[in-house]
Amino acid sequence: MRTVVPRSLLDIDDLSRDEIFHLLDRAESFKATAPPRDLLAGIPVLNLFFEASTRTATSFTLAEQRVGADVISFAPGTSSLGKGETISDTAITLRGIGVRVIVVRHPESGFPRRLAEAFDGHVINAGDGPRAHPTQALLDLMTLRNEFGRFDGLRVAIVGDILHSRVARSNIVGMTQLGIDVTLVGPPTLLPDAFAAQGVRIERDFGAVLPLVDAVMMLRIQRERITSSLLPSLDDYTRNYQLDRRRLDTLRADAVILHPGPYNRGVELTDDVLDDPRSRYVAQVGNGVFVRMAVLDLLVNGARAA
Amino acid sequence: MKTLVRGGRLIDPAQRIDALRDLLIENGVVVAIGEHLTAADARIVEAAGAFVAPGFIDMHVHLREPGQTRKETIATGAAAAVAGGFTAVACMPNTEPALDSPTIVADVVRRAQAAACARVYPIGAITRARAGLELAPYHLLRDAGCVAFSDDGATVASARVLRNAARYARDVGGPFISHCEDGELKGDAVMNEGVNSARLGLEGSPGLAEDVIVARDLLIAEDTGKPWHIAHVSTARSLDLVRWARSRGTAATCEVTPHHLLFVDDRFEDYRADGKVNPPLRVAHDRAALVAGVRDGTIDVFATDHAPHGQDEKAQLLSIAPVGFSGLEIAVGAYAAAIPDLPLVRFVELLSTNPARILGVPGGSLAVGSPGDVTVFAQQPWTVDARRFYSRGKNTPFDGMTLARRALATIVAGDVVYERGTVLPHRPFVPAALSPLEVH
Repeated sequence: MRTVVPRSLLDIDDLSRDEIFHLLDRAESFKATAPPRDLLAGIPVLNLFFEASTRTATSFTLAEQRVGADVISFAPGTSSLGKGETISDTAITLRGIGVRVIVVRHPESGFPRRLAEAFDGHVINAGDGPRAHPTQALLDLMTLRNEFGRFDGLRVAIVGDILHSRVARSNIVGMTQLGIDVTLVGPPTLLPDAFAAQGVRIERDFGAVLPLVDAVMMLRIQRERITSSLLPSLDDYTRNYQLDRRRLDTLRADAVILHPGPYNRGVELTDDVLDDPRSRYVAQVGNGVFVRMAVLDLLVNGARAA
Repeated sequence: MKTLVRGGRLIDPAQRIDALRDLLIENGVVVAIGEHLTAADARIVEAAGAFVAPGFIDMHVHLREPGQTRKETIATGAAAAVAGGFTAVACMPNTEPALDSPTIVADVVRRAQAAACARVYPIGAITRARAGLELAPYHLLRDAGCVAFSDDGATVASARVLRNAARYARDVGGPFISHCEDGELKGDAVMNEGVNSARLGLEGSPGLAEDVIVARDLLIAEDTGKPWHIAHVSTARSLDLVRWARSRGTAATCEVTPHHLLFVDDRFEDYRADGKVNPPLRVAHDRAALVAGVRDGTIDVFATDHAPHGQDEKAQLLSIAPVGFSGLEIAVGAYAAAIPDLPLVRFVELLSTNPARILGVPGGSLAVGSPGDVTVFAQQPWTVDARRFYSRGKNTPFDGMTLARRALATIVAGDVVYERGTVLPHRPFVPAALSPLEVH
């Protein structure tokens, strides 16, 4: 008997380079023409969000509905897992109920991987701790490809709290795999030197990097970094790393600004940035739905011609 | 009752013996070492092709009794000990309740005498309930049978409390043992801080968290004159600090675990807790320094930090799964795997001679008149199968590995308690009295 392990998407490196291009092509085709709403007809998809989410949960739900899945959404808090049920028991229970696909977000790194090992179905990681957020990386890649038509040789800076960012980690993996030249920018407490081992540059001088890049991705800065002694004050941070009017002027005219959201106005960026024609935030969230439709289709139906 | 260990290569660093010798034990005590010994009615242990050493002593184990007998009991832990070639263990006080009162310690001693096939030496707490605030009653704990003092994983946070403890306990026999981790630097870490924790998105504890406490505690040792033992050293810099303290005349010793000698922090790709331990598995540079520290004599003791847990507990999420794993039954093979060419005399010193000396307990030598505690071991490949452990803790990162050395027989007070892969029925024994109160 041959056992086929259902495919999951836990991080971007679960996909080959060709599969990433296939997914992006498929997402583009869905964007151009809405697919028939039967790609996942009758397939129960569970959105299991152990952590609050607006953008990602909404985007996944819409994507699931547009491919015709039976959508169940559940925000369990810590749920029965907090009451002593093991990951494996939860997985078996959900499969027993009939769930075929779990879209999961969890505050702890590695939870989707542990769930996927125990679940006889597909798991899609919608963000685990600071570890990975592969569909976010895919929508960022889609946005970059829309803009530049290529990946190889692009220069991208990711700026801010790299240490706590799943968006940064997944983008580092995906972008370096596709030949993008990635520079990480931030203070040593939020961007330890250990990140250099991931095939990226580390820069502390934002001003020096900004004029050189094709795209700059600004990450959210959370205020609790101050009380946990990782930052002295927002003023000290913004002095070095805020994207403001003055720094915007040094960004190339053909460059773009990405932000995974939610942004903190006045912290990592100023209102000027959101109004700037180079900002692609709205395009990013729009692309998210099509990328997630393509991921659902790939995992459940397998690769096929777009 | 007589026991004759016959035909083996006897290695006893304390007597500078490394030769083919027979060993005769009578009434629990070594009575003769010689060639071609015979004894009528003696229980014979054939040791041809094997090594015969003074009984191995693991000075860092967790027996979980009282309070956590789902993980281990004194009886199952002692069975695991003899199955691993250990004739004695020193058990850490992180039980429930902690070993912080003479009543509880006496209870552990009584239970060990009734149920255990190995000698069990309690380690008393340094502070009440290991809470780091009030001193434990060292003289009373010593009277009850404690051989050392430690708050184990609950590193005493206050330097003032620790200094007062060491001053008060200076003239009480038995060293202080420090598990060195600064709680603030460690945070909620589940692994070592470094390239791998950064990539995996897991919180790491820097080697610095250990080093700062090693430095502090060695300074307090120097200041107070209390003999001090650093548990499970895991970093290159901590070893340098031990060397530095000794160069200043501090009575400092230290131990290393098999896992820190063999593994590094690359075992978390699956986000499982199998490699989660305190202090965490470090990096190649630290591992190499530990091996060098064993070779050059900086490290005095091989100790396993045997820390059994239920499999279901270890299968929990990485953040909540408990730290540590079983160590007693893999130790002999694991240490040999870590440093295959370590001279056997050094191997025996680290597992027997030195822990006996540091704790001031009987054993550590097979000189005539010594306790009849013997470990027979050999170069004999075997594959670790944790499911077959005598310990209730079935987790170990060594599971499935083939190791080249193992214990063949374990003799406690002349009683053969383990032989040919099986823990044997044993008679209750009364441990030899502790050596008189030592004044360091």
